[in-house]
Amino acid sequence: MSEVLNNSNDESVGISKGLRHLLSGVAGSIGMLLRNSKAKVGFSILLLLGIFAIVGIFFSPYPPNAYIFAKSLPPNRINLLGTTGYGQDVFSQLIAGAAPTLLVAFSVGLLGTLISLAVGILSGFSGKRVNSVINAVVNIFLVVPGVLLIMLFGTYFLGIHRNLGYLSTIIILIVTGWAFGARTFRSITLSISKREYVLSSILIGESRVSIIFRQITRAIMPVVVSNFFFTAMYGTMGLTFVEYLGVGNLEQVNWGTMLYWAINNEAYLTGQWWWILPPSIMISFLMFGFILLNFGLDEIANPSLRIFLKKKPKKVDENA
Amino acid sequence: MALPIKYIINKTSLFFIIFFGAISLNFFLPRLIPGNPAEVVYAEILKAGGSGINPSYLHQLEAEYGLSSAPIYVQYLVYLKDLFQGNLGVSIAFYPEPVFSILAQALPWTLFLVASSITISFFMGNLLGRYAGINRNTIKDLSVNIFGMFMASFPAFVLAFILLDIFAVYGKIFPLFGAYSIGMTPGLNLPFILSVLYHSALPILTIILTSIGGWILGMRNNIIPNLNSDYINYAENLGFKDYQIKNIAYRNALLPNLTGFAMSIGLSVSGVIIEESIFSYPGVGMYMITAIDNLDYPLMQGIFLMVIIAVLVGNLVVDLLYGFLDPRIRQEGE
Repeated sequence: MSEVLNNSNDESVGISKGLRHLLSGVAGSIGMLLRNSKAKVGFSILLLLGIFAIVGIFFSPYPPNAYIFAKSLPPNRINLLGTTGYGQDVFSQLIAGAAPTLLVAFSVGLLGTLISLAVGILSGFSGKRVNSVINAVVNIFLVVPGVLLIMLFGTYFLGIHRNLGYLSTIIILIVTGWAFGARTFRSITLSISKREYVLSSILIGESRVSIIFRQITRAIMPVVVSNFFFTAMYGTMGLTFVEYLGVGNLEQVNWGTMLYWAINNEAYLTGQWWWILPPSIMISFLMFGFILLNFGLDEIANPSLRIFLKKKPKKVDENA
Repeated sequence: MALPIKYIINKTSLFFIIFFGAISLNFFLPRLIPGNPAEVVYAEILKAGGSGINPSYLHQLEAEYGLSSAPIYVQYLVYLKDLFQGNLGVSIAFYPEPVFSILAQALPWTLFLVASSITISFFMGNLLGRYAGINRNTIKDLSVNIFGMFMASFPAFVLAFILLDIFAVYGKIFPLFGAYSIGMTPGLNLPFILSVLYHSALPILTIILTSIGGWILGMRNNIIPNLNSDYINYAENLGFKDYQIKNIAYRNALLPNLTGFAMSIGLSVSGVIIEESIFSYPGVGMYMITAIDNLDYPLMQGIFLMVIIAVLVGNLVVDLLYGFLDPRIRQEGE
């Protein structure tokens, strides 16, 4: 086996083949997803928000951060969603803030999933000692509340007169959010690597890298996709945490900072619903999309979980 | 009954690893970040109006942060000694109040919110999930499902101000702030307890609603494969009564959710800390916002440590209880 492992040529073939398998696995999972009704609704929600975000990159009615209107106007013909307590146009902020919010959510989902996949497979497919060390690290990150780490690092950043921009927000959210996935991937890899077909591949002399890419990643693909949605949800929620705590860059416009300013000015106590509700609804909408996709995926993996409302119960009732 | 000793040792050692990890992070982080936290803190105290402080306090602060010339392991030992004596330094935002006494007031309220909301949410969520799973493919199933998914999509503080608006600002059913009515003296008497429950109703409800979806869907998705499994068919054929069969399936479906219970503590603490300032509830979360706004490092570090210790203890207790509940772990010791 060590000979095969040292043969770099064989490995690179294994990797390129594996990557192709990986991509076809992702494409296959997405194709399957779209045949499920929950997932379809979830996907449409994300698509709608994506279009909203892309439009927002190129166009917003007014500059989102310009204080050019009267303060705290309720919705009217000029300001579709009214103005903030500082005189900014809420709708412009909402549309301009969509792209960064989605960017954070998706990058946290993608990078976080990749990291937990790597850690999970490494831990599940390596010796006992490495496995137990990784397991301990994963457990540490599972137990510590993410908000506390965000607070701690965020405040030290503030102390040196910096704040968490998008890059550092994404990094800290990945740091606090990768452990859930790693735990799942680890236990699945552990169970797969004990199966006979993996064992026979090892005996034939297939390299480890090739086994990991060709067999294990493919087998856990549905879980990878589901983990992506979960982590992206955490990314969305985490962005609001970072901004809400005030350790982010509050001059950036995203749905998190919009909430920060609205809550900080107690818009919910003063009846300025048009300031605080739009970002809340958009964030909840985004999260709802991720949740629907996730449970749609669950139903695909386990069809007995699906709800068939029309057929069975009514007919049985009539017959009875 | 034999004790699952290996399991207990595993869980307890993890507890101590994380405990010392958190303590050490608290010690090393100020040293890793460029700049001198003592100077930042000193400047903040001056800004906060602590004009009576003389410059020697800067040296005192530096000593407190262990920024002396002493070797790092000596600094670490001094830090540990202070910690175990309950000396967490002096708050800046509430100068000259010690951090420890602030936390001693605040932490119990937060723990009360977390403990009651996750317990209620766990029981109600599992029962609702059981209800949905048993009434599979009916409108009841569908509505419980949709309710769970809908609730899970709100960040805790968004739901917090929505509920606050509906029930406190406009409805005037629940109070706007505080943990008990003004003018009451805390004590173990009925009016005080009622007032505490009354003030905590909305914060607890918020965390219940945001976390219940996970339990509902988890339980539903666990109990359905259980109800379809061979042992349930066997029990049916043996002539077990309907409710008995449901209870057996429920009990077996509960175990995976119980493992999730320990992990949910961390998430709920995050939720509670975030929502407390919206409800003006005098827990750790409110002080945390103040600490961040004023760059109150000592208070923040105290919050970090105390909350992590509380979460760790909660985890350990749940894990150990789980060891006794799960027969597979229980038998490992025999």
